[in-house]
Amino acid sequence: MTGQDRRTYAADFLTELFHNPLDPGYADAAERRRRAVPATGWRRSAPRAVTLVTLVLLGLLLAMAYRETVAAEPSRSKARAGLVAQIKQREAENAALTEQADRLRAEVLRQRDAALSGSAAANLRNLEAATGLGRVRGDGLVVRVADAPEKSDGVTGVGGTNLGRVLDRDLQDIANALWSGGAEAVSINGQRLTATSTIRAAGGAILVDFKPVIGPYEVSAIGPGQLERRFRDSAAARLLDSVSEKHGMSFEFRKVDDLTLPAATEPQLRFATPSPEPTAAPSGSSTGRGGSPSPLGGGR
Amino acid sequence: MIAVLALLAGVLLGVWLDPTVPSALQPYLPIAVVAALDAVFGGVRAKLDGIFDDKQFVISFISNVLVAGIIVYLGDQLGVGGQLSTGVVVVLGVRIFGNVAAIRRHLFRA
Repeated sequence: MTGQDRRTYAADFLTELFHNPLDPGYADAAERRRRAVPATGWRRSAPRAVTLVTLVLLGLLLAMAYRETVAAEPSRSKARAGLVAQIKQREAENAALTEQADRLRAEVLRQRDAALSGSAAANLRNLEAATGLGRVRGDGLVVRVADAPEKSDGVTGVGGTNLGRVLDRDLQDIANALWSGGAEAVSINGQRLTATSTIRAAGGAILVDFKPVIGPYEVSAIGPGQLERRFRDSAAARLLDSVSEKHGMSFEFRKVDDLTLPAATEPQLRFATPSPEPTAAPSGSSTGRGGSPSPLGGGR
Repeated sequence: MIAVLALLAGVLLGVWLDPTVPSALQPYLPIAVVAALDAVFGGVRAKLDGIFDDKQFVISFISNVLVAGIIVYLGDQLGVGGQLSTGVVVVLGVRIFGNVAAIRRHLFRA
């Protein structure tokens, strides 16, 4: 075979590819044909027919690929749009249900106050305020923390680890310091903390009672007048002060008059069950879990 | 000329019949198209060079499509499907460019 030296690929295959993109087979075939006698009859026309069939196949392939691409695109964007619409709809439903729940809760409250005697109702309201089930108003303290601005390399745009980020740990410390300072009610970004609230991190987000909160974080507390002084002296405040000094995290707190903290979402009753007979167990079965009212282990 | 007509006939056939590709083969369709285009441009260039050969064209077409498909399939099984199909597209793309450049020289003398 004459094209032998061409067929052995050079060590640098890519260079060969760039220089000689044509299949070496064509040259070989031409060489063979030049030496052989020209074919005639069906031996000449059969390959031609096969070529035409191949071209028909190619056209088919192109048409198929085109149709596939065209068909795939809308279905993809359709699925996306559908999901977005579903999310929107669920959000709206959720908001409507929350509103309904709030309305019903207010209604229940009104009925209960009407049914109970004055002192019992007041007692119940105080308990609710302490456990976070009722809306409370009063003077207190607002602690504001926010992540330090993301530092990124000017050239590569890659940021290192931001040491000035607010961690779930920081919010826990602030909440605990506020409780131990005598706070009667605490909320983070408008989400009331109760005895069973959790503050934890999942991925990069901080979850308060499994609902994500985003910075800047505002921890509001209603408490006695010394709350600010006690908070300033707490270990948490000192730690955050030094972090904000060193790493640029923003941390500030101020006294605010007339704060309103919302009620916590209705707690799930874990141990209480509806009493089977009104007469069998008139009370005591619906108190839920007792235990210490101090959340997050903060001494209160 | 007949070749172009055959190609058009294939396209019309595809539009008219609207064949459905089995979903297992769908990922290989784009690669198959690129491989087929490589064979076609090679054939056109050989034609202009005056060394076109039917057998060579048919075999290069079929083997290109099959080999490209097999490489991508193998890559999928090994977990490097994306990278291997990139490699296949690069190699075939280089060849297509080279052949189109040769065709251009033939047609426009430039």
